[in-house]
Amino acid sequence: MAYLIHLAILFAIYAILGMSLNLVVGYTGLLSITHAAFYGIGAYTTAILLTKTGAGFFTSLILGIFITIAVSFLVGIVLSKFKGDYYSIGTLGFNTIVFAIFLNWQNLTRGPLGIPGISRPKLFGINFDNNFVFLILALVFLILVYFVSRFIVNSSFGRVLKAIREDETAIAVFGYNTLYFKLIIFIISAVIAATAGSLFASYITFVDPSGFQLMESVFILAIIILGGLANLRGPILGALFLTLLPEILRFVGFPADIAAQMRQVIYGVILVLLMLYRPQGLVGEYKL
Amino acid sequence: MDIIPQLILNSVIAGAIYTLVALGFNLIYGTAKFSNLAHGVIAAIGGYAVFYLTKTLNLNVYIAIILGVTLAGLVGWASNKFIYLPLRKRKASNMILFIASLGVMTALQAIIAMLFSSQFKTLSQDIGTQKLFKIFGGVITQTQVIILSSTIFIIAGLALLLYKTRFGKAVRAINDDEEAAQIIGINTNKIIGLVFFIGSAIAGLAGILIGFDTGIEPTMGLDLLFKGMVTSIIGGAGNIYGGILGGFLIGFVENFSIWRISGEWKDAIVFMLLIVFLIFRPRGIINK
Repeated sequence: MAYLIHLAILFAIYAILGMSLNLVVGYTGLLSITHAAFYGIGAYTTAILLTKTGAGFFTSLILGIFITIAVSFLVGIVLSKFKGDYYSIGTLGFNTIVFAIFLNWQNLTRGPLGIPGISRPKLFGINFDNNFVFLILALVFLILVYFVSRFIVNSSFGRVLKAIREDETAIAVFGYNTLYFKLIIFIISAVIAATAGSLFASYITFVDPSGFQLMESVFILAIIILGGLANLRGPILGALFLTLLPEILRFVGFPADIAAQMRQVIYGVILVLLMLYRPQGLVGEYKL
Repeated sequence: MDIIPQLILNSVIAGAIYTLVALGFNLIYGTAKFSNLAHGVIAAIGGYAVFYLTKTLNLNVYIAIILGVTLAGLVGWASNKFIYLPLRKRKASNMILFIASLGVMTALQAIIAMLFSSQFKTLSQDIGTQKLFKIFGGVITQTQVIILSSTIFIIAGLALLLYKTRFGKAVRAINDDEEAAQIIGINTNKIIGLVFFIGSAIAGLAGILIGFDTGIEPTMGLDLLFKGMVTSIIGGAGNIYGGILGGFLIGFVENFSIWRISGEWKDAIVFMLLIVFLIFRPRGIINK
């Protein structure tokens, strides 16, 4: 049971990540492969504030959001100059730079050693040390993100995003400043990812750079491509499937490091097979 | 040993490797018209094939190198034949090809790590007893001389192939306009298949050379892919000679920057360079 709760928390965090990435990739049609960078910024902000200062979880969450807004604003402006492959390569590059910062800014992040001893949130006397209580917190965030996403995609703002995805020139001709729309949604998506990072850091109580590598971004991308782009339930299905899948490997009984690699193989093969046979994923409404 | 001549030599050697990777990447980009993210991991396959053949099967080094290069070429050819070609026939978008190659990369890298462990390995058989040469006050190893000469050999060979043969003419025609090339009777699918073989074989050679110079690890492919991609974008995507200029430029920037800044920041610096180029000169040094 304890293990099921653990899996459910991981599922909630990945579903939040997937939903936020879906706003950029699925609804706006920008293939961003850098979500782990913002996820990491949130996680590290929480980790550093909670271990080095006396700040609480929710303070760190808000500070993480502000840092992410600033960073994603700058990155979004740079990225807005690129199209197609170049956009994706630019995002890959940003992920690499952020990973290098986590790894090498040793005074702040302790580099490869990581930061242990992060405490769990406390709010109104509720203590989240119990995993079940934490799961409820994670699910509250998940539901919140779901409704925020639903609100965004059903609003007139969301319709412009879909129009940008279908034909950016056409919507620009109608007088919409597409740069502004792309930037806003990129920032919103990054902020949600940072929130997921804060949750992750305080749940696991430990962060190190390896969790925020490029491969993590690929994993989040796999979640939404498998689940289905531009569908609100898609990332939930994708996250459910891809967090449970490794557990099947555990039952088969591979040694730990082989199982970790086996997981990567499966993610890779899933991506290839989906592209070949079902590019819209399980319930996707947008075909790449 | 002066620092400046040594830095210049190191830059040239690094530049030669990046050029090799970028040459193949560019060839494939020019004909198949997508960024093949699996290109780097194919270099790693070359390196690991030679490692297996020489250290486990005790094969002659030269035979092992030929087999390693061929294997890398075949893997590239097969990835096109069974994944990218069917997708292109279906008129799949660029994004689909891009994500499919991301899947191929993820899976192959993990397979290598499963077979050979994640540890760093060297191909060199006479560690510490290599012949050293002194040029302009800098030191260069025998392996590095081989790296430089094979790069020059490959560049010259590729130039001959592209500009003096019927095959080269066909490749350049597909580069300009695939449909028109098809109409005048060029079997474009066959030519692109061959281009995948040649480009991947060159990447395999780069992987093997790195294995002899420093060493191989499963994640080396990602690093090489980044450098190769940045190289080809800086040089002008799809432009073969631009790749040479870009490769050496990156070699110099990288090696001279770590003279002043700590070496761990290498990757971040290269990506900064890419972003600067993408903003100010998105078509690369040589405008096409």
